[in-house]
Amino acid sequence: MRPITLQRLILQCGILALILFAVVVVALKLGAVPVSLYGLCRDLISVLLRQTSQISSDYGMIVIDIRLPRILLAIVVGASLSVAGTSFQALLRNPLADPYVLGVSMGAALGAILALIAEPHLALPVWLAALFTPLGAFLGAAATIAAVYLLGRREGQIDSATLLLAGIISSSFLSAIIMFLLTTLAGRDFRGLVFWLMGDLSSPLQPSLRWVLGIGFLIATGAIYTTAADLNLLLAGEKEAMHLGVDVRRVRLVVYISASILTGLAVSVSGAIGYVGLLVPHVMRLLFGSDHRTLLPTAAFGGAIAVVIADTLARTVVAPSELPVGAMTALVGAPLFIYLLRRRIA
Amino acid sequence: MFTDSTLRAAAASSLVLVCTSAAICASQETPPALQTPPAYHQVTDEIGRTIRVPENIRRIVSLAPSLTETIYALGLQDRLVGDTDYCDFPPEAQLKTKVGGAINPSLEAIAALHPDLVLVTKNLNRLETVQALASIGIPSYATDPHTVDAIIASTERLADLLGAPETGTALAKDMERRIAAIKDRVAPLPLRSVLFVVWTDPLISIGKDTFIADALQHAGAVSVIDSSQNWPHINLEEVVRLQPEFLVFAESADTAGHTTDTLAGLPGWRILDAVKHRCFAVISDAVNRPAPRIASAIEELARQLHPEAFADTPQSDKDNTSPAPPLSTQPAKSSLHLARDFSVPQECACAR
Repeated sequence: MRPITLQRLILQCGILALILFAVVVVALKLGAVPVSLYGLCRDLISVLLRQTSQISSDYGMIVIDIRLPRILLAIVVGASLSVAGTSFQALLRNPLADPYVLGVSMGAALGAILALIAEPHLALPVWLAALFTPLGAFLGAAATIAAVYLLGRREGQIDSATLLLAGIISSSFLSAIIMFLLTTLAGRDFRGLVFWLMGDLSSPLQPSLRWVLGIGFLIATGAIYTTAADLNLLLAGEKEAMHLGVDVRRVRLVVYISASILTGLAVSVSGAIGYVGLLVPHVMRLLFGSDHRTLLPTAAFGGAIAVVIADTLARTVVAPSELPVGAMTALVGAPLFIYLLRRRIA
Repeated sequence: MFTDSTLRAAAASSLVLVCTSAAICASQETPPALQTPPAYHQVTDEIGRTIRVPENIRRIVSLAPSLTETIYALGLQDRLVGDTDYCDFPPEAQLKTKVGGAINPSLEAIAALHPDLVLVTKNLNRLETVQALASIGIPSYATDPHTVDAIIASTERLADLLGAPETGTALAKDMERRIAAIKDRVAPLPLRSVLFVVWTDPLISIGKDTFIADALQHAGAVSVIDSSQNWPHINLEEVVRLQPEFLVFAESADTAGHTTDTLAGLPGWRILDAVKHRCFAVISDAVNRPAPRIASAIEELARQLHPEAFADTPQSDKDNTSPAPPLSTQPAKSSLHLARDFSVPQECACAR
């Protein structure tokens, strides 16, 4: 492992940040309503100068009020899923782990739906009501990963194939429960949720949820980052890491909770977007090496780039209608997953 | 090695991203400085939301085929600036600017049309769409009729809201009159038990709380399915047990002929008395839309289920009344075709 330097980390993140910026500009330009590049630049400058009142152009509202918040949401969701995927891969020492494949996304979705069902009956204070769905999603994610972790062990060791099977089985079991809930709960309108389940970024966030998402993402990612050096040692094996002085229990707990928070947040705002957490860390590992101190930040940028591109495709391919963004990521992700799986077996 | 400064730099770089986004989020919450248009008023829509709409609604986007039809029936089509891919009646509605499907419209395509009001209906559109519109300051008005009377009332309310109360009252009176006339004819006759087929594979029918179930009642029929779900998935065994007298399809005559022929050959379906004796009623898909044309659809169905009650009036009579009958290209011919091929009540063994 090459020693990490500040310069290299800044360089790598800088390059990715530039790519992200370029992708965001393209994503702002593309959409159901055509926008001129000149108008776009003028609007962006007005926003940067915080002179939103200057935006008089016909499309200012579309770009600033509709596309930009959605792109920012895609950035945070992509970064969350990608960091969660990187963490699960390190925690379970399985490069094919990912919130979606392990059933954690479905667990979070079930938690969110249960929270939605329970919320009207509970007379919660306003601040808790805003937090309630993400909280349900977090609990669902945490419970699922714990179950998959226990099911995926054979003779006290985590077995790669057993773990993946446990994840896939949990995922289909949980989605069966979700389908049962959505069909039997007549009288309430859950059609929107079916769209959301496939991964959907088209609904803007409530302002209160924006802050929950932003702050939750920062805290959870920061917490995982403090364990980055320990995660590197953990890759060699839990016993080995312990001998090298890593507090394995603490690291596991921090990563487990933080990754569940990230998954819960991402799922509660955008549904189950698959394969981002699986493939982006892989690509980043191929590009920049497997040192978690660089892998975690680069994976965050990479995930953001991937989801912004996927969502831009989702809203332009059949414009003016929209596809669920989860369909776009699965379209690219599933074949890549099979390729990686076969390469690993070979 | 990995130093504190590296950590700080990494944290800082990720912070920049989020701070920018936070700044933009914050800047967004400040209301844009618009010159306040003169008159607004508050109305409560049919799902209980209080919304603020301009007194003078000049630009309307409709997100449901039924609402598009209603706007045309009220003669307000010039104010309709956008509708959905599925808005196909009247045919001119297809020429309006499209904003996507009813379930997944493009928010920005709607915003680009600068509507004064977006019309939605609860049974088709998603709540998320309504919330998304609200978040960018576009008012939306939701309808939610569950009965034929509610469709009429809803049409009248919509007419008031859009500033065409006289047309609305006239339209409502006309619908009421036509439905009452049908009721007079079919009321003395026994109700026909029917299975309303929304979809054959899988078999989807209608629940008791839908306006379609109510429309069947007005046509002198009763659905054999008594579900609290709106679009229940029905087991064929259950239908065999219930043995409806008629199967009711809502589609164009061409595809319906194909569907009924196919069903007659399918196991399960062919042991239904209604299929054996070809007791099919095929009416226009207007019955699926809570719009003024529902009156024509009810009449069409009543004529097929209770032809004896309409023996004195020829089929073409309804074609004179507005709104126009649904079968778009050759209405008269299609109606005759339907009457000949699908309702054979005299020799129908299942007709009591």
